[in-house]
Amino acid sequence: MRPENYSPVQHPPSHEYELYFGPNHPGIEGNYAIRVRLNGDVIQEAIADGGYLHRGFEKLMEQRLWIQNIALVPRICVPDPVPMEEAYARAVEALGGLEVPERAQWIRVMMLEISRICSHLFTFGGNAATIGLYTNMFWGISMRDLFLDLFEEITGARIYHMYITPGGVRRDLPEGVLDRLEATLDEMERRTPEFEDLFFDNAVVIKRARGTGVISLRDALAWGVTGPNLRGSGLPSDVRRDDPYLVYPDLEFDIPTEVEGDALARMRVRKAEVVQSIRILRQVIERLRGIEGPIRCPLPNPLAWNIPAGEAYTRVESSKGEVGFFAVSDGGPKPYRVHVRGPSQMHAVQVLERVLKGGRLEDVAQIMFSLDACPPEVDR
Amino acid sequence: MNDQVPVVGEERPETCRAPDAEERSLWRRVMDQFADHCRSRSLFVLHYCTGCGAVELPPTITSRFDMERVGVSPMVTPRQADLLLITGYLSVKTLKRVILSYEQMQSPKYVLGFGSCTINGGMYWNSYATVKRLDQYIPVDGFIAGCMPRPEAVQQVILDLMRRIDSGQANAWRDYYLDYDTYLGRQAALFGEEWHTPTDVVAEARHYGYFGPGTTGVHTARLKNYTEWALNQIPELLPERGRNEKART
Repeated sequence: MRPENYSPVQHPPSHEYELYFGPNHPGIEGNYAIRVRLNGDVIQEAIADGGYLHRGFEKLMEQRLWIQNIALVPRICVPDPVPMEEAYARAVEALGGLEVPERAQWIRVMMLEISRICSHLFTFGGNAATIGLYTNMFWGISMRDLFLDLFEEITGARIYHMYITPGGVRRDLPEGVLDRLEATLDEMERRTPEFEDLFFDNAVVIKRARGTGVISLRDALAWGVTGPNLRGSGLPSDVRRDDPYLVYPDLEFDIPTEVEGDALARMRVRKAEVVQSIRILRQVIERLRGIEGPIRCPLPNPLAWNIPAGEAYTRVESSKGEVGFFAVSDGGPKPYRVHVRGPSQMHAVQVLERVLKGGRLEDVAQIMFSLDACPPEVDR
Repeated sequence: MNDQVPVVGEERPETCRAPDAEERSLWRRVMDQFADHCRSRSLFVLHYCTGCGAVELPPTITSRFDMERVGVSPMVTPRQADLLLITGYLSVKTLKRVILSYEQMQSPKYVLGFGSCTINGGMYWNSYATVKRLDQYIPVDGFIAGCMPRPEAVQQVILDLMRRIDSGQANAWRDYYLDYDTYLGRQAALFGEEWHTPTDVVAEARHYGYFGPGTTGVHTARLKNYTEWALNQIPELLPERGRNEKART
């Protein structure tokens, strides 16, 4: 050891101290760090420290063809990649004037909703693990794997599908996959009461999560909170309803809300959303059985595909909140500029810093998981 | 405490070497093989997930693929971990933390690189923020190709690593001691000339018996300067240093 390790550090005469929380920490959701200043175990100040996962997506996308970027966009958010593909594809369709066939629209809705269920199951497991309930994690992840198998059958990949392309989807559904999806949904519904017993009726969860990390509706609107976190504070705001895309106007579903705005309310919203996603998927299965036709509109040669000049902003409701893509074309084969509006950036930086203030050290990981922030998307 | 303060310019043997397998006594060979066998059956994985490969680790560890049945389990501290999984791309900021974590781990230690990003940059081959080749900065025992590697692939590479530990072939960690000067030079080229870590790798190389001609060189000479500078900066250590020098003379 070098001597600098043994130097006695002169602390200021104070009961406050600073702690570096992460990035090598199992409670943190991904590679992310928070500097917290503590008095005892009460947080006086929290400063988010991101940048560990920065890859420079917006610059990389300017250097690749429009069609090549399909492979790049799902990697922005790892647990929930499909909304990124959908938002990018719709931005390109808006610029290029492409019309998506009806069957492709229904398939896209199916993929979006399966991805939402997967992501909520992941969060459900991770959130329980931060307060020491590892059974939930094992159950949630094994349940998610059933849906990943469906993804693999449809798209060929478990995590990064690259399935939704501008103008439709990459290939048609395999034979009999709708029956297997229905069976998986039955299994999910069968196990939902067990999850309810294990997590939402659990005294440990209620004691730890109730009143933790409260966001009032006024603050939520001021801080740019979207998605399940905003609905947990009481506002029924959902891009699927407010700014409908694809075939969502034809579907029946509710927008669940809770009024408390704490960690428990946010998890309750996610649980209700999974039920609504199952309801949507059942309608989609029924309609997909009756719709035949092309799955993609004819595209020009992708290597020499010049998108007409213009700009487009599209938004999609992901499991984390509102995802937006702002794409500008100068008429060339590559984007002039693409800006990504990710929900986690607001949740993990400005919301987390404010919500942690006055909280306890042991609740840091739980609050971060209940906000469902996705560090790869924060740093991009 | 006095003995732990390194004295600048102290005379030490230039190289030292642990005996090769055939040079060891029979008793030591048997004990080493037994230790390797045990070591390969209880790998603790450091709980540090650098990139998107982390999303396939929960399925690998939990019910469905269940790596605990072969003795692989997560561990939260670097000091107690054997295996460092580099799960995906590394930004420069993350690589610093990876090197700090790697140097804190006790030898023998093993590193596995996940996905194309650790091999040649993968999807981010022209990104300004990521490190393209992991094995330039720390020695790596194995790579998994693909993006994203499936849980079966993760299992396969870990089983392969266990087989190589058992037969005494997973020795990449020795390269870090034997070629520390080269590794440090590459790290300093990326992070800047001021780069140094709290771990004294040169002393560790002597401890483990892998102090070779490549352990010290032009780059580690800078560390010596830093140590002298630090000694002069910390007034509390100066009397001890004086006492130490007096003891030598």
